[in-house]
Amino acid sequence: MVVSALADLKVVEFAEMVSGPMCGKLFADMGAEVIKIEPPGTGDEARRHPPFPGDIPHPEKSGLFLYLNTSKKGITLDPAQPTGASIFKRLIEDADILIENRPPGYMQSLGLGYEGLREINPRLIMTSISPFGQIGPYRDWKGSDLVEWAMSLTGYNTPTLVREPEKENPLRAPGHAADMMGGTAAAAAAMFAVLQREIAGEGQWIDAPCWQAVVNTAKVEMAVYTYTGMPYSRLRAKTSLGLEPSKCRDGYVYVLWAVNSHWQALKDLLGRPEAMDSELFDDMQTRGANDDIVRTLVQEELAKHDMDWLVREGQARGLPIGPVYTVAQAAEHPHLHSREAFIELDHPIAGRFRYPRALVKLDKTPVQPSRAPMLGEHNDEILRERLGFSAEEVTGLRAAGII
Amino acid sequence: MTAHLPLKGIRIADFSWIINGPQIALWMAAMGAEVIKVESQVYLDYMRVTPAAQADGVAGINRSGTFHNLNYGKKSITLNLGTEKGRKLAQELVKRCDFAIECYPLPNARKLGLTYDELKAAKPDIILISVSLLGKSGLEPTDWVGWGPMASCFVGMFDAQGYPDGPPRQTGGTWPDYAIGTSVIFHALAALHHRNKTGQGQWVDASMGETVIGETPEWYMDYFMNGRDRRQWANRDDIMAPHNTYPCAGEDKWIAIAVGNDQEWEALCATMGYPSWARNAKFADQFNRWKNRNEIDTQLSEWTRNYTHLELAATLQQAGVPAGPVLDSVEIHADPHLKEWGYWWELNHHEAGKRIQPGIPVRMSNVQKFNYGSPPDLGQHNNEVFGGILGLSEEEIRALTNDKVIY
Repeated sequence: MVVSALADLKVVEFAEMVSGPMCGKLFADMGAEVIKIEPPGTGDEARRHPPFPGDIPHPEKSGLFLYLNTSKKGITLDPAQPTGASIFKRLIEDADILIENRPPGYMQSLGLGYEGLREINPRLIMTSISPFGQIGPYRDWKGSDLVEWAMSLTGYNTPTLVREPEKENPLRAPGHAADMMGGTAAAAAAMFAVLQREIAGEGQWIDAPCWQAVVNTAKVEMAVYTYTGMPYSRLRAKTSLGLEPSKCRDGYVYVLWAVNSHWQALKDLLGRPEAMDSELFDDMQTRGANDDIVRTLVQEELAKHDMDWLVREGQARGLPIGPVYTVAQAAEHPHLHSREAFIELDHPIAGRFRYPRALVKLDKTPVQPSRAPMLGEHNDEILRERLGFSAEEVTGLRAAGII
Repeated sequence: MTAHLPLKGIRIADFSWIINGPQIALWMAAMGAEVIKVESQVYLDYMRVTPAAQADGVAGINRSGTFHNLNYGKKSITLNLGTEKGRKLAQELVKRCDFAIECYPLPNARKLGLTYDELKAAKPDIILISVSLLGKSGLEPTDWVGWGPMASCFVGMFDAQGYPDGPPRQTGGTWPDYAIGTSVIFHALAALHHRNKTGQGQWVDASMGETVIGETPEWYMDYFMNGRDRRQWANRDDIMAPHNTYPCAGEDKWIAIAVGNDQEWEALCATMGYPSWARNAKFADQFNRWKNRNEIDTQLSEWTRNYTHLELAATLQQAGVPAGPVLDSVEIHADPHLKEWGYWWELNHHEAGKRIQPGIPVRMSNVQKFNYGSPPDLGQHNNEVFGGILGLSEEEIRALTNDKVIY
């Protein structure tokens, strides 16, 4: 029997799209009971987001939704209606964690702000995820993954090593990486709060903004500025570290030659070509000063060899070198398969296919996703069995658009 | 109000270096754990010696800004794991810890005595956090040396990142080294929660590659559902348009604009003063805007160039359009929101002086102040840890120092 680390935790998720659902997913896949609340009728906005099997949109078939909502129970509920709000409060009574990603101030406007909910349940850990945070001048700014990423300095630095800045506009990471990071940082903070509650006995309110989560990923760039006074530039750096995909015979490899031992390993790998063997390049400073020459020399040599050979022989010499794969190549890679990085899940409507399994592998309490809920799938279970509504009442709630 | 930080009473032996492991330990230290960073003069943390951010350009092992902002609040000891006595002492330390953290390729971890089997033998309920490029179990990539960007390369993200028809491009700096930070922290704390209930420790075998996959799932889901290999997507979104970064007045200044519905498009058009191009039927609904997104991008760029990125972002947000300035290192430190929200804190360091530091990017109502202590000098806590925690006498410490075990 598989043991779950968080089976004793009850989580209510009132969140849509990416950041909040990602936070809920982390808890659910580790065994917590996560009750996801969706708007009646339409459901989570992510249900309308690609990819779809066969590119045919269907609310139960969004790849983004199915991935982000594994292992959860799904109910529909409209807390903007008084009866909906009272059902919401009953769910909060014995919840350990509430995850929400509504615009700051919205929960208060429904009478469901932290101060009110804490009176119902002082042990509640309310985790509020937003683009910019619950306080500050941008509190009410509209967020979007691209915007949060682009504003982050990591965004300014993507792509790294820019040669023609006017043609190379800043890029985001593929998909919703900023929102994913916000949701993940929120989950980490909520776990800190769970542990703190063991000592302090009471819950708390967490303000987890997605932007700040990404801002926190540019520490080298920040320190360059605050410690030397020199603004960090996204233009090619003056230190020669390698740092970019380089063409080889059958694709690209990524090589790093930061320290001298790497540089020596790289020279060995490439058969010590005369031009590279110059003492001029033998330390970090002089390599940096001659970065253009160094880079051209290395790239010319790399282009003569195959990816697999370069990686195998380079790594055997202690050189940080790796393949640049496409997603399809990675998805079929035997190493990822040997780690069971993907898991096949069956869904009654969407069908059966693989999913990324886990962000992190644990040996005693492994991450165990099960399929995402269909819209309102657990309405009866939660409302009738858990909260004691009668079948007639559930029908009435449904007719009123509350569930 | 509460008196205790969340990890009060938790002790961590942090054998990691550079970015990924130290970033994990940094959060733990900020949350109240006693983090003992195990270093050695034999192989200094690269962040101590990198020339990139030495305070005022004066090199010194305690002066590096990139070391400071990844290691504040920790203790530092020097212990040479290349010696048998050193490895033995490391085990003694681990016996007195709740977590150990390491981030080496498998052969190196074996040499240093930092495998789960060895540490478990020393402390059965230890939670070992292993961070690596592609994981510590599996096939030959377990042995690879490398860092964050190589993980992104392996799992397809650089390929997905490029401009249309261009080569693969790198995602900002060493993003996976940081991305794995919070994902490991969550799972490691779940492991601690489990240990507190059951007494059972475990091995957290974290792969930067798998964290990147888990945070960019659309690419994988599309492949698994449709066999589609999404390549060179640049800033393209699945449904939104305009959705890109656009040039602004000044050198290398940009604004991000992401329009998700008709209302936001209308607000954008109103801000632009309803230019004739925008009235074209080609842009009348979201699907058509998405289909003709390249044309919108060209037109929009001509407009955005006339304005500064900071002002235009504020104007667009005022009108209800999701937009934000691309901030460089100077601008992000001057940003009023980050200041007021409380992201930064000021370190007063005995060698580097007063320097602004990036803090923990969440606010918690029961944590009035995170443990933002000074970053340790190399070996600053040798006496405290070897004498206090491990109970060695002054004489023993001196002998071990002479033998270059404490070194």
